[in-house]
Formats: sequence, C-alpha cells, structure tokens
Amino acid sequence: MPLVLVSILLPIVAGALLVTLPRGDRVLSRAIGTVVAAITFGTVLAAGTGDWSVRWLSRPFESAFHFGATPISYWIALLLALCTACAVAACRVERTRDFVALLLALEGTMLGLFLARDLLVFALFWDLMLVPVFFALIGWGEHPATAWRYFIYNFAGGLTLLLATAAFGVIYGSTDVIGRGGAALAGGWAPWIYAGFAFAFLVKTPVWPLHTWMPPTYSGLPSPMVSVVSGVQSKAGLYGFLVIATALLPAYVHQYATPLMVLGGISLIYGAVVALVQNDAKRIVAYSSLSHLGLIVIAIASANPLALDGALVYIVAHGLFSAALFLLLGYVEEREGTRGLPRLGGLGWMNPRLGGALCIAVLAALGLPGLAGFAGELLILIGVYQAGYVWPVIVALVAIVLASAYMLRLYQDIMNGPQREDLPIRADLTWLEGLAVAPLLAALLLIGVFPKPLLVNAAITSAQSGTLP
Amino acid sequence: MTLSFTNADWNAILPVEIVAAAGLAVLLADLFSGRNNWRYVSIVIGLMGVVAAGIAAGRQFGHEYDAFFGGFMTGGFATVFEEIVLIGTAGSLLLYSTIGPSPRVAGTVAIMLWSACGAMLMAGAANLIAIFLGLELLSLGLYALCAAVDRKTARESALKYLILSSTATAFLLFGAALLFGATGSVMLSDFNNPSLASSPLFWMGAGMFLIGLVFKLSLVPFHTWTPDVFEGAPLPVTAFMSVVTKTGALAVFARFTYDALPPGVAAKLLLPVWIVAAISMIVGNVGMLAQVDLKRLLAYSGIAQIGYIVVALAGGTPLGLRYAIYYLTAYAFMNLGAFAVAASISGSDEDGSRLSSYRGLARRRPWLAAAMTIFLLALSGLPPTAGFLGKILILAVTLANGYIWLAAALIVGTAISLYAYAKVIRAMYAPEEGPHGDDLRPFVPLAWASAALCAAVVIAMTFYPLTPSNVLPLVR
Repeated sequence: MPLVLVSILLPIVAGALLVTLPRGDRVLSRAIGTVVAAITFGTVLAAGTGDWSVRWLSRPFESAFHFGATPISYWIALLLALCTACAVAACRVERTRDFVALLLALEGTMLGLFLARDLLVFALFWDLMLVPVFFALIGWGEHPATAWRYFIYNFAGGLTLLLATAAFGVIYGSTDVIGRGGAALAGGWAPWIYAGFAFAFLVKTPVWPLHTWMPPTYSGLPSPMVSVVSGVQSKAGLYGFLVIATALLPAYVHQYATPLMVLGGISLIYGAVVALVQNDAKRIVAYSSLSHLGLIVIAIASANPLALDGALVYIVAHGLFSAALFLLLGYVEEREGTRGLPRLGGLGWMNPRLGGALCIAVLAALGLPGLAGFAGELLILIGVYQAGYVWPVIVALVAIVLASAYMLRLYQDIMNGPQREDLPIRADLTWLEGLAVAPLLAALLLIGVFPKPLLVNAAITSAQSGTLP
Repeated sequence: MTLSFTNADWNAILPVEIVAAAGLAVLLADLFSGRNNWRYVSIVIGLMGVVAAGIAAGRQFGHEYDAFFGGFMTGGFATVFEEIVLIGTAGSLLLYSTIGPSPRVAGTVAIMLWSACGAMLMAGAANLIAIFLGLELLSLGLYALCAAVDRKTARESALKYLILSSTATAFLLFGAALLFGATGSVMLSDFNNPSLASSPLFWMGAGMFLIGLVFKLSLVPFHTWTPDVFEGAPLPVTAFMSVVTKTGALAVFARFTYDALPPGVAAKLLLPVWIVAAISMIVGNVGMLAQVDLKRLLAYSGIAQIGYIVVALAGGTPLGLRYAIYYLTAYAFMNLGAFAVAASISGSDEDGSRLSSYRGLARRRPWLAAAMTIFLLALSGLPPTAGFLGKILILAVTLANGYIWLAAALIVGTAISLYAYAKVIRAMYAPEEGPHGDDLRPFVPLAWASAALCAAVVIAMTFYPLTPSNVLPLVR
C-alpha cells in the first residue's frame, strides 16, 4: 500500500479501533494515539511527494482519488502530523478514549485534504474534517450554540466550495488538477467559481467579517483539539488559496487583490485590537490568530513570489506557535482552574518550566527574530512591498507592534506578578507534559534560524508538483 | 382486432407476479401457523419473494420487450426502478420485526407486497392505463396499511391519505382523459408528436397529469398531506411510502417528461415543475427545522430530497436521469436505514419516532447511534456518504444543463437542512442523559441488520458510483 494512503487511513482506522478499548480508559488510548500520530508523522515524511491515484468518476467530469504531497502540502502535512502527535500526548480530558479517537479522525481527514490532488476529493475532505470538530464541540464544548455556529458557517463554506468544484469540473472536464500546471481557467463562469472558492476559504481561515464562529469555537474546544484546529485546520483556507485559487484562477486573484487585502488588513487590525482587550486567555490567542492569518491573506493576494514563500513559512510558523500556545494555556487552565487574565498571576514562580515554554511560544507569536514567526513575517513584508503594495505593509507593521502588546500582556498576567493566594499551587510541568510541547518549540527555533527548506518557490509549485529541496 | 397475450407478455411482468404470489403465500402460511402468529414466517416469506423478484427483474436488464401491446416495457429503466421498489419493500418489511401487533403482521405484509406490485407496474408502464392501474394498486393497499394499527392518528392518517390521494388520482385521471381526447391514443409514445404542440387540450391534459404526479411526489404546494400521513402511519408503512410510492411516481414522471412530450412543449410545460422542485427544496428543508417527530422530520426531508432528484431531470439529458437514479437509490438506503434505527429503539408504541428518545443514544446504543449518524450525514449531503456524491453529480449535471438557479436553490436548501439533521446527531451525542436513562430496547436482529446493511451501502456507494447506463429509451 502506498505510504501516502497509509498516512491518511492509519489515523482514521486506528481512531475507529480505539473504541474497542474499555470506555473509561485514559492511559492506553493516549499512548496508542500518540504512537499512531508519531507513525503517521513518519509515513508523511517517508512518503515525500510520491503519489497514488485511482479513478473515481468519468462523467460528468473526470475525477480520481488522487493523493500525493506537493512541496507546499508536504510541509503543512508534516505540521499537522506533528501538532496532532503533541496534542494527543498532551491530552487530558474526560472520556479520553473518544476524544483521542476524534483527534485521530481529525488528523486523517485533514491529511486527506492537504494531500488531495483532486478538487472533488479536496471538497470531500473539506466537509469531512468538520465532523470530528463538530462532535468534539457537542461532547466537550462549553456551549451548544458554539457547535452550531462552527458547523453551519463552515458547512455553508463547504457548499459554495462544492458548487464551485462542480462548475469547475463541468467547464474544465476534470477535477484532477491540484498541483498540475496549465489548468488555469478564465472568462465565463470563472469569476463565480473564484467567488465560490474564495467564500469557502475566507470562512475557514477566517477573515473579518466571516470570523464570528471562530472565537467561541477556539475558546470552547478543549486545548488539544483547538491546538490542531487553530494550528492546522485554519490553514486549509490559506492552502486552498495557494494551490486552488492562485494556481487555477490566477487572473481573478490578481483582479480582486485589493478587496482581499482590505479584508486581510481589517482582520489584522481588528484581531489585534480585540486581542488587546480580551480577558480570556484562549480568546486572546484566537483573536491573535485572526490577526496573523490576515497577514497571510495579504501575502497571497499580492501574488509576489517572495511573499508566497513567506506565506508558507508563516503558515507553518503560526501552526507551531498557536498549537504550542493553546496546549500551554491548557496546562495553565488545568493547574489554576481558570483562564481569565484578571484571576491569574504569578504562576511563573512555582512553574518555571511552564513559564519558559510559554515565553518561547509568546515570543515566536510576536515575531522575535530567531524564531519562526519572524522569518515568515519578514519575507511577507518584503514581498508585499516588492509587489508595490505599500499601505498593507504599513497596516501590518502597526499590527505587529500591537502583537507585542497583547502577547506580552498575556504572558505577564499569567506568569509574572505576585502569586495569587486564592489559586491552587500545583507542581510544574511533568516530563511528559514538557515532552508534548517540546517538539513544537524546537521546530519554532529550527525554522527560525533555518527556514530554507520551506522556501519551496511557492509561486511556481502551487501550480505544479515540484520536487522537494 | 383480437387482443391476446402471449407467454412473453406474462414473462415480462414476472417480477410483479412473483411478488403478488409471495403475498398470497404469506397469507396461506399464516393460516397454518395457528395461534402462534409468528411474525418472522410472514417476513421471511415476503423477503424471499422480494429477492426472487429482484433476481427475475435483474435478468430482464437490457432485454427490451413491449409487453401487453406497449403497456409494459421491460429493459433497463423498468428493471432499475423495480429493483429500487423491491429494495424499499424489503427494507420496510424488515421493520415489521419490531412494529405492529403480531396477529396482523401477515395481513399487512401481504398488502404491502401487493402495493409494491403497483409500484413495479408503474416502473414499466408505458401507457396511461397501465400507469393508472399501477398507481391505484399502490394507493389502495396503502390506505389499508396506514390504518393497520390501533391508534387514532393512524385512522386519521389513512383517511387523510385516502381523500387527498383520491383527489390527486382524479387530477391524473382527468388529465389522462384529456390526453386521450387530444391524441386518440393511450400510448405515451404517441404523445411525442409535434402537431400536438398547438393543441390546448393536450396542454391541459398534460398539465393535469403532471399535477397528479407532483401530488404523489409530494412536491410543494401539494405536500401538506405528507407530514400528517407519515406521522400517523405505522413505522414500516411510513418507510414504504417514503421510498416506494415516490419511486413509482418518479418512474412515471421520468418516462412522461423524457420521451412522451413533443419537442417544443417540454421546456415550457415543465418549467413550472422545476420551479416547484426548487421551492420544495427550500420549503421542505425549512419545514424540518421545527419538527420533534422523526417521521414528520423525514416527511419534510423527503419533500426536499425528491426536489433534488427532480432537479436532476431538468434539461432532460440521459446523464441527468442516471444521476437521478443514483440519488434515488441512495435516498432509498438512507431513509430505510433511518427508519430501521427508529424501529430498533421503538417499542410497540413506536416511541422511537420521537426525537426525544434519541437523547443520549450514543451511550446506550453506540452502534445504532453511529449508523443513524451516517444516515443523517447522507441526508444532509456530507461525506463520506452517497448523499455527498449524489449532490455533486446533480449539481454538475444541473450546471451543465444551464439551470444555475436550480443549483443555487439546491445549495441554499442543503444549507438550511443541515441544522435539522445535525440537531438529531447532537441529541444522540450530547453528554446529558436522555429521558429513558438506561432503559434499553431488546436487540432486534432483523432491524439491526437492515440498519447495518444500509449504512454499508450508503458509504460504499460514495466510492463506487453505480449509475446504470442503458436505461433509455423510455417509450417506443
């Protein structure tokens, strides 16, 4: 069986098999889940750009179950596998067995999405990856309405994606086009197809004003799940922009660059300003996500080669630090029983390891040189400026300054200051908890000093399947 | 001219004969079963008849023959629709393993089999008389079936169905009479004649004929009977009506619209039907939102689902017909599966049709909850189910035929429907316990097997899109 198929099916099948464990199981399901996620990471790594294909439909358009990594999706798939492994390892929620099964199902469906080389298969996994999160929101979420908001927003996006895919297939005659050069479409229905794709991608990213599902979802989900959702699932839209919108409908990305940048710019500032005044730690990271991903939307809209490369680096960087942030905030919440900033304080005295880890993640998020966030931001800013867009760069710089403010506020209010006497004093990170976030932090540092492997020349490889560097 | 039927004619309707004979056999066996009233005897004999008929129908696939002087056409189309009718019948029969008073099961099973004969006749009917014969055979059985439990709502359901269905039949029959008046023929093939395009009698006849059919398909605005009738009828009968009645009506509708209309007439005459289908997709899905009873929910869902299928026929392309058949098959399995789950958690009072009894089902019956989730995902068009693929195929063919507004209505309707289906899923998986606590219905092998089989097929059809190719021609 080809490795690429193994990497998609393994987590799904393993997750389904977990339900054979006893219902109250905590340790075994977590251990098995971590091992499965680690093996999946290995298979993604080993599969490289090898692909696998089998015919699905021949009419009304050609379609195939075609999977294989492009240089862009390769890195995102690795990010996903890494985030999932860490999330499962850090997983300490009630009904652990079912939760780990959902996390693995989420990993498998999202790997299917990122490794799909066929638009219809992409659309299939797009809808499919909503289901595990929906179930997690039902079973573990803080408020039932959150599940609805998440599902209905994203499913509406999925439906326009489906319509656009059908229209593309009917016009082009095949949907087996991701990472295949020369499939550009223009004229006729093409603007509408672009609109359908763009709506789905903008909802998923999300971008202001389609973001209202996101803060309650991110704060309502348990930390391990939200670290994967925020870290990787939010990248599905950006990935779609890169390999579908930019590659298949380049004319319209160019034509509608300004509206896209305006939306991205508003998200950048709006997310940053709201993050400044939030008191819920998870919501701060959620709104910072809105802000950071706005920057990537600007980068993709500029269609500048350097900016696109920066977009991929920043996609991976944001995935790493937002996954790490959510996992660490999960630890904080578990220790103190709250994540409200006014209630927290002085945790760093008793938890130096937790404090140090949070410090690294926060610094990466605010774009400190030497960490991955900076590498991505810098490339994007230079690229967007090169492309001749000056105002987005100015907007982005303002937002980056704001990012320092809200990120440092997050860190200070949790870790610094006098210890709170009304909060429980618990032990520092155990070695297992530390091990669960260590890979994310190490990867942040590694990419921060050596981002070169991620510079895959995204402008070209988005349209074609290239080789890995 | 003397009319005499040959052996070939009787062979053409062999599947119908087998099912009818199985109905008789069920009654005979019941005579000998004495006071035990062992319901499984009736069900198994009925199923054997259905399977035998399915094999007989399958052997006719591709063998085109006009039996009874063009009254019944065998070949691809009839076979496919007969098989769907048989699947629906089998799925409904299985539900009698839990539902209904034991002494009456044999009688109801027999009547259901004979009703199915009517739907099978409609699948192959190529003239107005055969269509009417099939339709009446189907409906007459259903009136009795609806009333076959001791419940006030069941009698109300039967009466409503009798009155409203008769009205629809009146429309259909009057339309048929006008068509005969305009053409001097009962053969559908004689209607495809350009000179008829200017005949007002023909337009009126065709219009009334279509109204009768749309009534049977329960598209808006002729849908109001469906939720009430579905709610009152016994669970197996609801399942039967939701699949078999609609399959029969759809077969006639497809045959009439595809091949029996003069070239210029079709586009103008059918435009109101497409509009009605578009409205059905919206109204049906909106209607689902407030329902607290599964049967009512699936009634509204069916209104919308049939809307999707009719949309596939817009444009009259062969590909559209194939995808309509694909979706109809998928729809049959989704609905039968959902009803099988409902039957599995029902007692004799059919409490499984109340949505409140699904609360916490995932704890009590994880496998049933998982199967139900698959059916609900399929009905809402989510992967990895046949509902997803069916929707994209219908979308594609609708767009290719240029009916963009129909595709848009389909998308809007689907978006609305999501909440209603997901509400049931949420009820099953939400952590809080249901009203029944740990009260478990006994394990019902037949209903469970039916649910499992339907779930497997609904998923498998995603990866192997079975769309029969040689279903044309429809009339000669």
